[in-house]
Amino acid sequence: MSPGGGRFHPHHPMHFVAVAAIVALLVIGFGLGFLLMPRHQGEHDLPTAKEAARHALGFHTHGNSSGSIQSSAKVPTYVAWTETTLQQARSGDPKRGEFIALNCTTCHVEQALTSDSRIPNLGGLDPLVMYKQLDDFRSGTRLSGPMSAIAQSLTPQQYADVAAYFAKQAGLPENGGERMPRNNSSYRNDDPVQKLIYAGDPKRGIAACASCHGPGGYLIGAPALSNQNALYIEQQLQAFAQGTRVNDMNMPMRSIASLLTPSEMNSLASAYSKGPERLK
Amino acid sequence: MERSRLLPLAHFWAAFLSFLPGIGLGMYQMLMRSPLPAPLDDPNAYYASVTAHGSIMAYVFPTLFAMGFGYAVTVSALGRPLKGEKWAWVGFFLVVIGAITALVPVAAGRASVLYTFYPPLIGSTFYYLGVALVIIGSYFWVVLTIVNFRAWKRENPGRPVPLAMYATTACAFLWGWTALGATSEVVFQILPASLGWLHTIDAGLARTLFSITLHAIVYFWLIPAYIAFYTLMPQVAGGRLYSDTMGRITFILFLLFAIPVGMHHLLMDPEHGSGFKFVQSVLTFIVALPTLLTVFTITASMEIAGRARGGKGLFGWIRALPWGEPMVLAVGLALLLLAPGGFGGLVNMSYGMNAMIHNTSWVPAHFHLIFAGVVVTMYFAIAYELWPRLTGRPLVSKRKACVQLWLWCSGMLIMTVPWHIAGLMGQPRRYAIFDYSDPLVGKTALLDTLSVVGGAIIVCSVLLFFYILVRSSFAPKAQSISPIRYALSVNPPATVPPLLNGFAFWNILLLVLMVASYGYPIGQFFFLHNQNAPVHSLTQEIKR
Repeated sequence: MSPGGGRFHPHHPMHFVAVAAIVALLVIGFGLGFLLMPRHQGEHDLPTAKEAARHALGFHTHGNSSGSIQSSAKVPTYVAWTETTLQQARSGDPKRGEFIALNCTTCHVEQALTSDSRIPNLGGLDPLVMYKQLDDFRSGTRLSGPMSAIAQSLTPQQYADVAAYFAKQAGLPENGGERMPRNNSSYRNDDPVQKLIYAGDPKRGIAACASCHGPGGYLIGAPALSNQNALYIEQQLQAFAQGTRVNDMNMPMRSIASLLTPSEMNSLASAYSKGPERLK
Repeated sequence: MERSRLLPLAHFWAAFLSFLPGIGLGMYQMLMRSPLPAPLDDPNAYYASVTAHGSIMAYVFPTLFAMGFGYAVTVSALGRPLKGEKWAWVGFFLVVIGAITALVPVAAGRASVLYTFYPPLIGSTFYYLGVALVIIGSYFWVVLTIVNFRAWKRENPGRPVPLAMYATTACAFLWGWTALGATSEVVFQILPASLGWLHTIDAGLARTLFSITLHAIVYFWLIPAYIAFYTLMPQVAGGRLYSDTMGRITFILFLLFAIPVGMHHLLMDPEHGSGFKFVQSVLTFIVALPTLLTVFTITASMEIAGRARGGKGLFGWIRALPWGEPMVLAVGLALLLLAPGGFGGLVNMSYGMNAMIHNTSWVPAHFHLIFAGVVVTMYFAIAYELWPRLTGRPLVSKRKACVQLWLWCSGMLIMTVPWHIAGLMGQPRRYAIFDYSDPLVGKTALLDTLSVVGGAIIVCSVLLFFYILVRSSFAPKAQSISPIRYALSVNPPATVPPLLNGFAFWNILLLVLMVASYGYPIGQFFFLHNQNAPVHSLTQEIKR
């Protein structure tokens, strides 16, 4: 007897039975899964074994057959969060950004936390958010006369630089990744605005604002909203609802904003503008 | 001998001490999902809690228990001290340190990624380092078990390895193989992402690697329970094991078919074609075989014991069994829960039926019934059986132990049956909060409340379990306590075929099965179009 339990002896009946059983199992599994099932299930036209096997491996042809009539999709943004884009958007130099920001502070007044402004506060904004918005202004997927002109005069590296500069300024709250629990963040909360922010309204298909915009939640490309100017938030919600702003990937904002009533938009904007401590 | 007792005892205490907060968190999660008031009703708190509950119950508690039981079996079944005990302690402390390292960031809300990781969600690096330490610590046990197994065989040529040791070694090989999936995911994908070296991650590859671990980990938890079925229960019941060979074949089948089947957890995933999903579904059905073999063998062994105790007639032997023995009662209850749990598993692994229950409450209902229902019931029984042998003090009350087992199993049924039904009604799993004012959601309100009642019974059962353990630990020392004795089979084997006495051949067959079933599904990620997702870091600061 060998110490490890015996090497393979093809003539030993037990070895033979075990190997034959495994081989038979694999033949049955692969035969059914790769040859028979793909050809006889569904409405695929797979005349050869090779096509059936390709289909079973996941190389489908349905959906891009040449005869289908489909208008080209309207592109909401040309920014895709690939390794290259993410690296570039995070590689900004705040020193160079400070110089570029001289152009911005005329309208986006530094330290101006006036909640009645239609112009957003940029201090503390996530660099990925600013990078994407500038690129959208450049490509025209987000519309604004002055911002388009400015964005077109800058390079993507300069977007990253200016984003790095603003990220270091005071303003929007820091989200250190802590998700410390707080009471009343569920449907048991009676305040309708708080409920919308922290729990959403699934009956209308509305996700919780906080799950992407904080406090406590974060999504790449979604800005933190606490401390943001109320009028700006409200105006953007209206723009998303009416389809005049369309640069949200996979349209979460367009679908959610179109379900909100004007008074809900107003109360949400006002609640967020009061800052994270007041969001209770 | 005192020191060799300390090793399993330390593992058991650490396991059960981690189990206690795990139970509390589970109770809180059920309250959150129910229409009843819950403290800290915040989805973030819920997901932190689910991560902690899952990490404790899936990684820390069963790993420590399986290791402790494994050491106890190695020493008692081979009848000699453990080789490399020093290293066993190193492994133990690595697991404990790993558990603490992992759970601190979870408690701080910085790693709410659930225990299944779910990249591109990325939490604190310390969470993953902690989990990795737990796995590394457990590998000390894997190596030591195999070393002790080999050493005994070398010194006892031609003698059959005792079934309990053979099964423990199968469990060590199984865990050694299957932990490679999650380990490679953590080491090659998640840690580089959490350290900020990578900004994107291939979630499809990560899920595929995790699936190698995700199913077989259940069998790593389960094998200690099955060892008790085969080698402890027949002895306690006063009978014999129906067949030693059947036991060996069962554990070999678990080793062979627990791992190359993990893709049935990915049946709804888009990164794989239908071919390999089907192949692995076919292989998954074979995993039902060792369980069916076990149900047959164990029922037959119970009948042998019942008839030896004077039971007559078609069912008279059932009444003749010593149901006041926690081990016998636990096996009976575990087999009862195994029936619905196993049936649910057959639904999950079926390509078509899985689509109906995918991501619904049915799924946690199933794995709670199998793991918490069958496996943990047996862990309790093993603890009751071993405690007097490890502490030298008698169990304070077998009757209380039986009450505890009844409470646990009935609580588990009351909790999981409503979950199954709610799942069939479409209730999603992993949801923190439900809006019960929605008529569609409101239909499950009663079911969810009922499952909270089940949870409360479970909490009572766990408190009673701790009461028994602590009281027994302080009981006066017994004059003498019989050493642990493993059940003889009806025909004790004088020799067994080399194939049923070792693992070399089976490991080679398993390698073949793994290459056949996972070779292409993993390999495709290296030559097909790369589809990385942006890392979604939970510790990422929005500002800077």
